[in-house]
Amino acid sequence: MSIQQIISPDKIESELMKIWEGLAKENKMRASLFNLIIFNRYSERTDYIRNIVQKVIEKFPCRILFISEDPAADHPYLKTAVSVAMPQNSESSIACDNIDIGVGGAFLERVPYVLLPHLLPDLPVTLLWAEDPCKAHPLFQPLSKLAGRIIFDSESADSLLAFSKTVLELREKTQIDIADLNWARTEGWRDLIAFVFDTPERLTELQHLKQLTLTYNARPTEFFCHLKIQSMYLLSWLSDRLNWTCKTANQKLQFQFESFSASIESTEWEKLGPGTIIGARFETKKDSLVDCARIKDRYHYVEIQISSPEKCDLPYQFVLGQTATGQSLVKEICMKGTSDHYIAMLRQLQLLDRNQLC
Amino acid sequence: MQSDPHPLAETGRTTRNIDPCILVIFGATGDLTGRKLAPALYNLGREGLLPPNFACVGFARRKKSHEQFRQELKADIDSYSRVKPIEEKFWKNFSDHIFYHRSEFDQDEGYESLAQTLKQLDTKFSTRGNRVFYLSVQPKYFPIIIEKLRKHGLLYDPHTVEDRWSRVIIEKPFGHDVASAAQLQKNISQYLDESQIYRIDHYLGKETVQNLLVFRFANSIFESLWNYKHIDHVQITVAEDIGIGSRGHFFEEEGLLRDIVQNHMMQLLSLVAMEPPVNLSAAAIRDEKVKVLESIRPFSKADFEQSIVRGQYGPGFINGEPVVGYRQEKDVSPQSNIETFVALHLFIDNWRWAGIPFYLRGGKRLPKRATEIAITFKDAPGVLFQQNGQRNPPNVLAMRIQPDEGIAMRINCKVPGPSSPIQPVKMDFRYGSYFGQTPPEAYERLIWECILGDSTLFARSDEVAHSWQILTPVLDYWAAHPPKDFPNYASGKWGPKQADEMIARDGRSWRIL
Repeated sequence: MSIQQIISPDKIESELMKIWEGLAKENKMRASLFNLIIFNRYSERTDYIRNIVQKVIEKFPCRILFISEDPAADHPYLKTAVSVAMPQNSESSIACDNIDIGVGGAFLERVPYVLLPHLLPDLPVTLLWAEDPCKAHPLFQPLSKLAGRIIFDSESADSLLAFSKTVLELREKTQIDIADLNWARTEGWRDLIAFVFDTPERLTELQHLKQLTLTYNARPTEFFCHLKIQSMYLLSWLSDRLNWTCKTANQKLQFQFESFSASIESTEWEKLGPGTIIGARFETKKDSLVDCARIKDRYHYVEIQISSPEKCDLPYQFVLGQTATGQSLVKEICMKGTSDHYIAMLRQLQLLDRNQLC
Repeated sequence: MQSDPHPLAETGRTTRNIDPCILVIFGATGDLTGRKLAPALYNLGREGLLPPNFACVGFARRKKSHEQFRQELKADIDSYSRVKPIEEKFWKNFSDHIFYHRSEFDQDEGYESLAQTLKQLDTKFSTRGNRVFYLSVQPKYFPIIIEKLRKHGLLYDPHTVEDRWSRVIIEKPFGHDVASAAQLQKNISQYLDESQIYRIDHYLGKETVQNLLVFRFANSIFESLWNYKHIDHVQITVAEDIGIGSRGHFFEEEGLLRDIVQNHMMQLLSLVAMEPPVNLSAAAIRDEKVKVLESIRPFSKADFEQSIVRGQYGPGFINGEPVVGYRQEKDVSPQSNIETFVALHLFIDNWRWAGIPFYLRGGKRLPKRATEIAITFKDAPGVLFQQNGQRNPPNVLAMRIQPDEGIAMRINCKVPGPSSPIQPVKMDFRYGSYFGQTPPEAYERLIWECILGDSTLFARSDEVAHSWQILTPVLDYWAAHPPKDFPNYASGKWGPKQADEMIARDGRSWRIL
């Protein structure tokens, strides 16, 4: 990134132009596919969010409008700064405008007025709302009205049940496209399960389960603390897609379905992202077993072992895709629409999580 | 909500519903495998796009061990992959799925043992009997390989076998002329259903070629202008600055018309001229492409001299460096009459394109490497904004296929200031500056599509047949009338002067690329 220039809001475009003129000899190209508005409150997560935005521009150049609110500010303020964001890969000639808006106190209401003139016309607007949408915030409505797509991260939600209600209501009311980074983080596992149970015979096995066990990485970091969510999403998705009915659920994350039990267990793996699903084990009433588990030194590989009392297949591996930070957001950015499976999964979650397990 | 055939799959949101399979590469020690296929497979695997239950078997005549074969592929990937360096951890696992099988192409025992090997690999990798056979061999081996595959139960009849599939990818050229293409088709269709044949034309795997359909049919402003009322003419250029390199033997038999025009240029032509398909299925798109080929006006006797120009490069300069002429290239006859340049002027006799000329040119040792489709629009009516009696240059929409992929539009614009001269300016969209990612190689996309069972990006038998029907009379005429002026253009020039004269007769000129 070029050196950030703190300037008054009316100088944003002219100052950006000056930076670009300075970069002309470096052969950098100004590119933008869409406007990406990010809202967050200053916290330990701010750097993490900046990091994932950096990943986005490496794949999809965009104009970044990064809003950071300081909830602890003792006097109102509004600061704007501009810079040029560049992919870390130094070979790339592409670079993007980066507009930072720092705000505190009552000046929050001025943010939309500062932001509006700097949206690039004719290009889509995506809002990454990095805070809990269940908590009313004066900026949510004005910013979401500008956006064609809102990306949440249920990791930031204090209550998963409240989160799912809020998102469903928002979708119903506005029909706006919605994505969720935690949902995107489970994509590899959803693909894997769909792949493993791709034949009608295999699929039938899922209706005759005895026990389903999901395991996630419980290693917390300062950025992630709601670590069960991805596993809950996966279980809820399966329940919805396969019409399983959950009878009871307890705080130990043990679930009783009509004809089988499920549990969500934890373990701690260094280096692997917190909350990430590590394994899924499907045991059937006929003692067949489908055991899918990440390989410890090659995290984005899952070894799949299928066995029954009669035979034991040789294990094989499934590539989950890159698990590097930011890749979920990158994927969601290029998607259109809202996943039907996601919306149905959130509805199902209201049943699974009725005792507020997360 | 439950409309997807598989309850766990969501249409349009995943690229991973792909059947397990074994890919067998015939000609596995050849240049194409090393330069294109191995890097394509590696990158597909690295990005998680290959099925998890996957194995690759190299089939060739040279003796070598599995390990030797793996090491050779690794070295090729290191040299030619678009992503470097090789990811050691990934390679370690991936290479365990790669095997080598030595046999002659016509030996029954070789196929017998291949069948056994594949059966064992099915058990080991749960590949369920699904097969892709990639024939990266000389065309003369296509029929025998396919016959042997069928004889040894390696090709399944798709009408009777439902629980597994077999597909065959065939490299170009598919035939040498209309008769040989028909014969080849007859030979292989004894053993293969058309749905199992994937005739590869790597141009169709290029992102920008695929974007042609999106550009035309996802942008309403262009489609309404895409016809004889608004378009003056269309130019398609496939230019290469390289010579024939080590392909002397091949080129002496094929020539440029067969090597580039019959396949790549005809594909570009049909994509740019086709009607909107009824849907995006392979059959619907290919039906429309065939209609374009069917509508091309056959060349008359006069056209062979007036509307078709052939050329051969002589010595010259490329980027200021001296280069030899075609007849001095390795494995080329010093009296060779093979063409290294072709320019064509043709018409598509249908409602949309009535009377609109299409100019095609392709050649080796031209000043630069450039593949482009340029649509030149008719002049604006009236006499407004004329300058000294001169009309303003027409609008041109140029779609660059390679390199520097993108789309540019030439429009006229007022130069600031009181005297108001009009200046053409260019609105330029460049893939490279808009999308910060390396596009996948054509072969990655095509292998993936074949495993997926989508034949949209492959040529159908009737496309190939029609293309040969148009061009075989040209080949016959050329054979009967050998050129008297070869070599007729210097390396580093835009072809022979006859090509310029051909287009100039219509009051037009070739675009400067």
